[in-house]
Amino acid sequence: MSNKPNNIKKTALYETHLKHGARMVNFAGWYMPVQYESILKEHEAVRSHAGIFDISHMGEFFLEGKDVIKFLQYIMINDLNLLEPSKGQYSCMCYENGTVVDDLVYYEETPERFRMIVNASNIEKDFQWLSDHMGALDVKITNLSTKRSRIALQGPKVDENLQPLVDVDLSQINRFYFAHCNLKGNPIFIARTGYTGERGFEISFENKFAEKIWNELLNTGANPAGLGARDSLRLEACYSLYGHEISDTITPVEAGLSWLVKPKEGIDYIGKDELMKQKTEGTKRTIVGLNLIDKGIIRENYKIFKSGNEIGFVTSGGYSPTLKKTIGLGLVKKQYSEVGTEFEIEIRNKFLRGKIVATPFYRNV
Amino acid sequence: MDHEFPDRLKYTSTHEWIRIEDSTATVGITDYAQHQLGDIVFVELPEVSMVFEKGSNAVEIESVKAVGDLIMPLSGEIIGVNQNLADNPELLNSSPFIDGWIIKIKYSHASEIDELLSAENYKQLIQNEEH
Repeated sequence: MSNKPNNIKKTALYETHLKHGARMVNFAGWYMPVQYESILKEHEAVRSHAGIFDISHMGEFFLEGKDVIKFLQYIMINDLNLLEPSKGQYSCMCYENGTVVDDLVYYEETPERFRMIVNASNIEKDFQWLSDHMGALDVKITNLSTKRSRIALQGPKVDENLQPLVDVDLSQINRFYFAHCNLKGNPIFIARTGYTGERGFEISFENKFAEKIWNELLNTGANPAGLGARDSLRLEACYSLYGHEISDTITPVEAGLSWLVKPKEGIDYIGKDELMKQKTEGTKRTIVGLNLIDKGIIRENYKIFKSGNEIGFVTSGGYSPTLKKTIGLGLVKKQYSEVGTEFEIEIRNKFLRGKIVATPFYRNV
Repeated sequence: MDHEFPDRLKYTSTHEWIRIEDSTATVGITDYAQHQLGDIVFVELPEVSMVFEKGSNAVEIESVKAVGDLIMPLSGEIIGVNQNLADNPELLNSSPFIDGWIIKIKYSHASEIDELLSAENYKQLIQNEEH
């Protein structure tokens, strides 16, 4: 707290968050609301009706040119042939050894123009990685991260609440598809995507519309929700978080994202050899769901033991507001990964009993 | 941010409050501390009759986002714990000074009481921390 570097960035909604009484933290170089009144209440609002999250800290790139698809086929592990205009795709960019540069979503505006949304903490690294691998291809990359704002609207009531505000039929936008429309006259990009395990949308627009759009969404009865609830929601839904379940030391196959690794016959892509090998032969470790038998809370990096031998570690852990118990994800040796396997977790020099459970813990999409 | 600082209590710089009654002291965490931790979801209480030195961690307090400790404000023996917190840890958020009391101790060194902060001094400390 005493050491506040003054180069921390503010989203266009910074003042709005302060007005709502948000507790701001430095997240990936941005002042972001970790919570307003209560993480539990914000979490429950998203599960029961609707929440709105400022996700303007995330990166937004545009890739344009004749060779964009060819380039993305080379740098992404998912298959662009499954994509079509007006659709988005979740994917990872990997290193040759299969570990992850970043996980992201890109949207095909046209075959020669793609929008890409990346993790806030990886914006510079991703931009560099993309730039470094273009070679002579006809691709131009633009970073519009700080010129545009992004809001996620998540929850079972979002469709109903949002429909009167927009000039597009929301029921026609299927999961991972997007549209361009106006929200009370303000132009937005709107995609049916999210990170909470609920139905909802993520929207993007120019910074100058941010406050107006935020207030319009608030008026529909949506609760402002911070990064704390965003994390507890995504953990219940078991969505990987970069730096936790996937990272530059953990591959998508280990993280249970084998389905992202596509054969792409006749196409070479970075990490393909290693990832296809892992996908067919299996890996030595894998991400599993964790519950505690004893009382306590498990947190990232706590060690997992079986009969006194270390078998892995917690990648994400915490309290599940929906299930009202402790949940977590852990990377463990394959031979101990079966559902029902009991283990011990070391918490401050004590050992608590737990067991491996099926995932996700909760999803309603 | 406005917080409560009841005058009748003593405080520590690590955000415990202490109510002294004869040879015993009741201890909890302050309104400021509960606010900093956010929603509290688990409290690991010590066993009655355990003895702690001043400054040692006696209680683990877990919120949704963070782990906090109750640090012993006075050396002594645990003579009571608030069992309600096992099933209702949120009492620390809703009523930090009354229903959310955490432990009662029989203190062993009365002189340590002089080292505790008054409400006024604690309030000053919080104001400095917030700026």
